[in-house]
Amino acid sequence: MDINLRITGAAGQGMQTAADLVGKALARAGLHVFIHQDIESRIRGGVNFSQLRCADHPVSAPRDRVDVLISLSEPSLRAYGPAVAEGGLVFSTVPVETAGCPRCAPFFLSELAKAAGNEKTVSTVAAAVAASVLGLPDPLLDTLVEERFGASEKLADVNRRALALARGAMNDAGLAGRFALPTAPATDRLFVSGANAVALGALAGGCTFMAAYPMSPATGIMTTLSELTHEAGCWVEQAEDEIAAINMVAGASYAGARSMTATSGGGFALMTEGVSLLGMIECPAVIVIAQRPGPATGLPTRTAQGDLRLALHAGHGRFARVILAPRTIAEAFDLTARAFDLAERWQIPVFVLTDQLLQDGQTLIDRPEVGPVVRHVLTAAEAAALPAYERYAYTDDGVSPMALPGTSRHLVCVDSDEHDPRGHLIEDAPTSRAMCEKRLRKVATVEAAAPAPECTPHDPALPLVVSWGSTSPVVAEALTALGTGGPRFNHLQLTQLWPLPDLRAVPAFRDCARLILVEHCAGDGLDGLLAQTQLRAPDRCILKLDGRPFTVEELTARLAEEDSHG
Amino acid sequence: MADPTLQDYKNDVPNAWCPGCGNFGILQVLQKALVTLGLPPERVLLCSGIGQAPKIVHYLNANAFDGLHGRELSSAQAAKLVADDLTVIVHSGDGGAYGEGGNHFLHAMRRNVDVTHVVHDNHIYGLTKGQASPTTDQGQKVAVHPDGVAALPMNPLALAISQSCPFVAQSLSSQGDHLLDILCQAIRHPGFSYVNVLQPCVSWDPIHTYAYYQKHCYRLDASHDPTDQGAALRVALAHDGRIPLGVLYHNDRPALRAITEPGCADLRDCPDRPARLARVFDRFR
Repeated sequence: MDINLRITGAAGQGMQTAADLVGKALARAGLHVFIHQDIESRIRGGVNFSQLRCADHPVSAPRDRVDVLISLSEPSLRAYGPAVAEGGLVFSTVPVETAGCPRCAPFFLSELAKAAGNEKTVSTVAAAVAASVLGLPDPLLDTLVEERFGASEKLADVNRRALALARGAMNDAGLAGRFALPTAPATDRLFVSGANAVALGALAGGCTFMAAYPMSPATGIMTTLSELTHEAGCWVEQAEDEIAAINMVAGASYAGARSMTATSGGGFALMTEGVSLLGMIECPAVIVIAQRPGPATGLPTRTAQGDLRLALHAGHGRFARVILAPRTIAEAFDLTARAFDLAERWQIPVFVLTDQLLQDGQTLIDRPEVGPVVRHVLTAAEAAALPAYERYAYTDDGVSPMALPGTSRHLVCVDSDEHDPRGHLIEDAPTSRAMCEKRLRKVATVEAAAPAPECTPHDPALPLVVSWGSTSPVVAEALTALGTGGPRFNHLQLTQLWPLPDLRAVPAFRDCARLILVEHCAGDGLDGLLAQTQLRAPDRCILKLDGRPFTVEELTARLAEEDSHG
Repeated sequence: MADPTLQDYKNDVPNAWCPGCGNFGILQVLQKALVTLGLPPERVLLCSGIGQAPKIVHYLNANAFDGLHGRELSSAQAAKLVADDLTVIVHSGDGGAYGEGGNHFLHAMRRNVDVTHVVHDNHIYGLTKGQASPTTDQGQKVAVHPDGVAALPMNPLALAISQSCPFVAQSLSSQGDHLLDILCQAIRHPGFSYVNVLQPCVSWDPIHTYAYYQKHCYRLDASHDPTDQGAALRVALAHDGRIPLGVLYHNDRPALRAITEPGCADLRDCPDRPARLARVFDRFR
């Protein structure tokens, strides 16, 4: 059972605050939620929404059908009022007749806020209405409002009044519990955004240094980390530009900190020479690209999966890299933590591709189990025990032991020029070839470790749908929605996009008569990569050009259509 | 441990500079400065980018990070933030420092990480064969500017002083005693320190020769107060054909690492992550 609740209004009206309160209340009621943000690139005005899919089971895909609309402005009511589902509910701040709203509740949120003593409490009113319609126990929201506003008695007081007035209005109208969800025992789940999850995953992966330049939708990662530095132990440097950021990451990694940066496509474009530097000096780094539509500035606050090739081909010269793409917010935690391990193990750049849907989305994740950070650098004692040390010693797997400067008597030299094993610049052909071969051995090492993809249900007779990143859960739910009666597909979900495993070893891929790719971009992404690396181009690509996330309904319809083509 | 000697700082990497290059003088003095300061090579990190000057980091025995053109300050600042026990010295040419890396120079002065930035300023692009640099004189005929450079040269000393750069000095590659004193002061300064080292380019610039600098340079004496920002700015902006050598300006702004608590003393080894994260997770309930 799930209820889709959209809180909409102008930027700055507090939709996010209301969504946070309801999200946490759902967590404490033992329920699940997936929130996604539809926002314009502005700080005030316009029409934005936070959409909460509230359910008694885990959800991580957006849905079109809106059961409850909570509108805080007239333009937002005009935009989204008519789309509310049959039997749905609309709560608004303006009279029904003005906006022509057939399913509006008989009271106005703004008036309740005014009666509470402060119009700004409209976000608390919205949260109270949402909690009431979902049948959540009152004490949950009471506690959350105390936690949020308790520091100021005056503020706490008006917000308490706002809660009481909203609940009274809901009871009088007979709407309390209209879409009640069955509550369950509270759990120890965490309420996090994708940006939070990446930041927490980074900390779990041992990150102690981040340098970045703010850019939507990546900024939340540095914001989160900056608020946790003292508790977790991490340096967050706001760089003057993305070029500085990536070169800072290189310097910090060289000095011995597990380091990261985060940006979006345009900012990452500025980092490409730095990526090449990481490749040449064999420097660990984690680079998060939070994708949004391009080219250029594109749609700054919207979502896309268009930067796969940018991440793959950034930087001149050949060197090893890994590209990971989490499907869910929970997986963003896991894969970011893993990225730090891989980056240091192989001394390479590891990319984590997220997108606006995932970054700004919020959900509940199980409290992660975090173990001690296992380093892959020489300890001071290990370095000291070596009779001599060469940073780029030739090895079979192409990975040379990494010592940290200043931790032993050995010098650590790195050079963006071609270099000898000691790290000093050279020109001669034999050393150039040997050092290039060393890097190519590392490419092979990283390729050989590519994990097998997840594929369901392994019936090679069916057409195969391939997806990656945050699109995968939407595809999975659409395939479930098509049901046993409808068309059936196998589903292959990739979480590592480079190096790709040999998909021809996967029967559902090797034997499928029809290959369909679902990718949130304008094309020339994974399709060409499959053709190049697996010698199999998709027969159809289901793409998305408008910066809005795929929804379950949309993909259900488009996949049903694919079947009729088949 | 025995005090470091000049021998400790020598290595066998073949040198690729032009005979007579001003960089040789800077290399010699840098080695002397590190010995004078009693720093063992493994405690020193030299950072550089691309060009003739940045090759210096290969020609002496120390830790070296030879990164990208103009980006050496970025990597150096981060390395120092992480490994606070290293002495970090950055070597750039005038192209890397003031052209490609100009933005990083501005922000390094603001940020005030305790690194020393030595700019080998020969007013020319050497390794790309004699084009104008940001400090080439207006009207000077160089590659790509056959009719003379139209743009005004940058005044990096005045820029640095105006931005309250914590330590601003100028020296000359051929005046070893002066350069040694300035480098030692700069490295000792607990914050971002910047030294513009003038040097002739023997291959591409027939005007700014050793003799030219000998004739036009003068040493600031005790009458100059380097804590007086206005006086320093007047020296840097004098436009009287004379070139000042010495410490033009310094202040005692605390370095970034001294005023920021990163949550663990050593960012290379931040202990108790699982326990720390358990507390952090509680914030998201």
